[in-house]
Amino acid sequence: MIRSIAQKEFVSIRRDRRFAGLSALVLVLLLVATLVGRASFRTLQQERQLAQTTVNDQFRNQPARHPHRVAHYGSFAFRPKSGLSLLDGGVDSFTGSAVYLEAHQQNSVNFSQAQQSGSLIRFGEMTVAFVLQLLVPLLIIFLCFGAFTQERETGTLRLLLSQGITLRQVAWGKIVGYSQAVALVVAPALALAAALLFTGEEFASNTDLVARLALFGLSYAVYFFLFVVGSVVVSATQASSRAALVTLLGLWIVGGIILPKATANLGATLYPTVTKAQLDADVHEQAQHGINGHDPHDQRAAALKAGLLKKYGVDSEDKLPVSLAGVQMAAGEEYSAKVYQQHFAALNATYERQNRLSDWAGLLNPYQAIRSLSMGLAGSDFAHYVHFQQAAEAYRYGLVQRLNGLQAGMGYGDKERRLDAHTWRELPVFSYQAPSLGWARPRLLLPVAALLLWAAGLCWLGLRLISNFTDL
Amino acid sequence: MTYLLEARSLRKQYADKLALRELNLQIAPGEIFCLLGQNGAGKSTTINLFLGFVQPTSGAAFVNGLEVAVHPLEIKKHLAYIPENVMLYPHLTGLENLALFSSLAGFKYPAPALLDYLTDAGLPAEAAGRRVGTYSKGMRQKVGIAIAVAKHAKVLLLDEPTSGLDPKASNEFSELLRRLSGQGTAVLMATHDIFRAKEVGTRVGIMREGELVDVRPTTALNARELEQLYLTYMH
Repeated sequence: MIRSIAQKEFVSIRRDRRFAGLSALVLVLLLVATLVGRASFRTLQQERQLAQTTVNDQFRNQPARHPHRVAHYGSFAFRPKSGLSLLDGGVDSFTGSAVYLEAHQQNSVNFSQAQQSGSLIRFGEMTVAFVLQLLVPLLIIFLCFGAFTQERETGTLRLLLSQGITLRQVAWGKIVGYSQAVALVVAPALALAAALLFTGEEFASNTDLVARLALFGLSYAVYFFLFVVGSVVVSATQASSRAALVTLLGLWIVGGIILPKATANLGATLYPTVTKAQLDADVHEQAQHGINGHDPHDQRAAALKAGLLKKYGVDSEDKLPVSLAGVQMAAGEEYSAKVYQQHFAALNATYERQNRLSDWAGLLNPYQAIRSLSMGLAGSDFAHYVHFQQAAEAYRYGLVQRLNGLQAGMGYGDKERRLDAHTWRELPVFSYQAPSLGWARPRLLLPVAALLLWAAGLCWLGLRLISNFTDL
Repeated sequence: MTYLLEARSLRKQYADKLALRELNLQIAPGEIFCLLGQNGAGKSTTINLFLGFVQPTSGAAFVNGLEVAVHPLEIKKHLAYIPENVMLYPHLTGLENLALFSSLAGFKYPAPALLDYLTDAGLPAEAAGRRVGTYSKGMRQKVGIAIAVAKHAKVLLLDEPTSGLDPKASNEFSELLRRLSGQGTAVLMATHDIFRAKEVGTRVGIMREGELVDVRPTTALNARELEQLYLTYMH
């Protein structure tokens, strides 16, 4: 019986010209967004790969130099785009894409698309995620608002029920039928995205990406199912189609626009972030308490020197087997890196708390749950960005300390000498490995739970509500 | 004697209005009971109570011996219903509508059988494959009749089923009712058509302001006398 009703809804919807127009529009938007996403993904990816290889080549092909000059010459780390970011750009447009790696300081990741692009980003990007998260639910609302009200208004519901089926069965039939119709609109776009992703040579056999894409599709299936069930339930509880449509649109506005903005503002108020200028000033101030490798009159530098002389049992710097300057540099770097780490960690923790608030809001608002789940799966959320930031810093610290080590190994009077050009060719270059799904999982549990709770709750409560109607 | 339809002190009180007052009624197999009365007299309420679409304030309705309020789903197997204005799914064809409603009642008919039900109800064969959105009211009514017939129910609940039908189709419908009653079907029909009630009904009941004020076998009166009787009650 449920199947008969579902079949009827599916056939009716497909024959409805208004739906055909609307869904064709959404389908075209999805396909275009996928293609545009793919194109911009390719461009950015190629740009960044090229830039990374260029700076790596330049770094390795330095002439004979003093290692500390090499440390100041520095290098760059470019963040590769994650595979699924073509579907959901997440915060990628606002977070930086490149970081300058140099001695003594941890720079912030700069050059976001929002910083350098024109109007396109300021006026909102047309991404697959935007269509999936906000426009498809709107399509579902237009599709389902009359599910019960229309049948009640025309009287078909009475004839339907007189054939001996329950309201619950009618509701399930409708849910199944509408879900099929939605799948008809969304599936081609996701299939195209998958085809584009896996025909690209860069992802040929990447099981992590397959898992992410599968979960991505599954999450949106649950999300759309929520809207279908919700719309059918609202339609059953409202007196007229008009009332059902107004109620549903109201909920869409609250969930899709008002609540996300409100939680973002609340997050910023509850957990204020320091400004960049303030952060820089704080770091600078604290870093001064450490050894300044460039200042020979520094008191702590003198203490370090005394310790070294004692350790090697000599009485002057020129008899040391290591370069005092190199050891001082290493100690200074260790201290300043710690200061930077602390401040960046505190800043990131603040952002995390703000994001967490939005994640918890997902329990109230499925849109916020799918948003953070989607960008988490796509590898374009804040956590993935921090992972890159930390990988870049780990590389920078390792590199600078290695160079300081080389300097220390040069012995007394290193400043007058240089190391051979081939030395730089042996240094490791930055190569970023994006984290796996398993790494991202803990952060995704809350939004997943929120979506599943909503689905279960709506099915259970909503359909109980529907089957409790007695008078028609 | 088992009755297919029975009302025992059936009463329906709405907040602002008493829709049905202590209805007692028994309809046996093969009987065609016609309910006459003005709009708002309680005819539709009675039918809705038998369908289980409205819950009684007190008393009980029984279909084939089963209390409606207790077995709301079970009783639907025994009855078929034709409303005054049969509304169908406009994007489906007549055939598809009939197939859908029959399948919900548990019947899976092959396409030729479905077409036979529709043409028997008076729908032109060429219309059966057209979408219902293009149908006239009379054509929809005929699909409604086909849906009811295809259910092979023991009880027919009809709420002014011939409204919108031309005289020829109405006449054919009366024939159909007589045939079904000959097979033992019990019919409860609300109607405004006194002459058809006299012609097809075995008994007529007159309702006024929620009350069944008179019940007569149709053999006892001719159409003119029935009309006179009706008019007396309405004044």
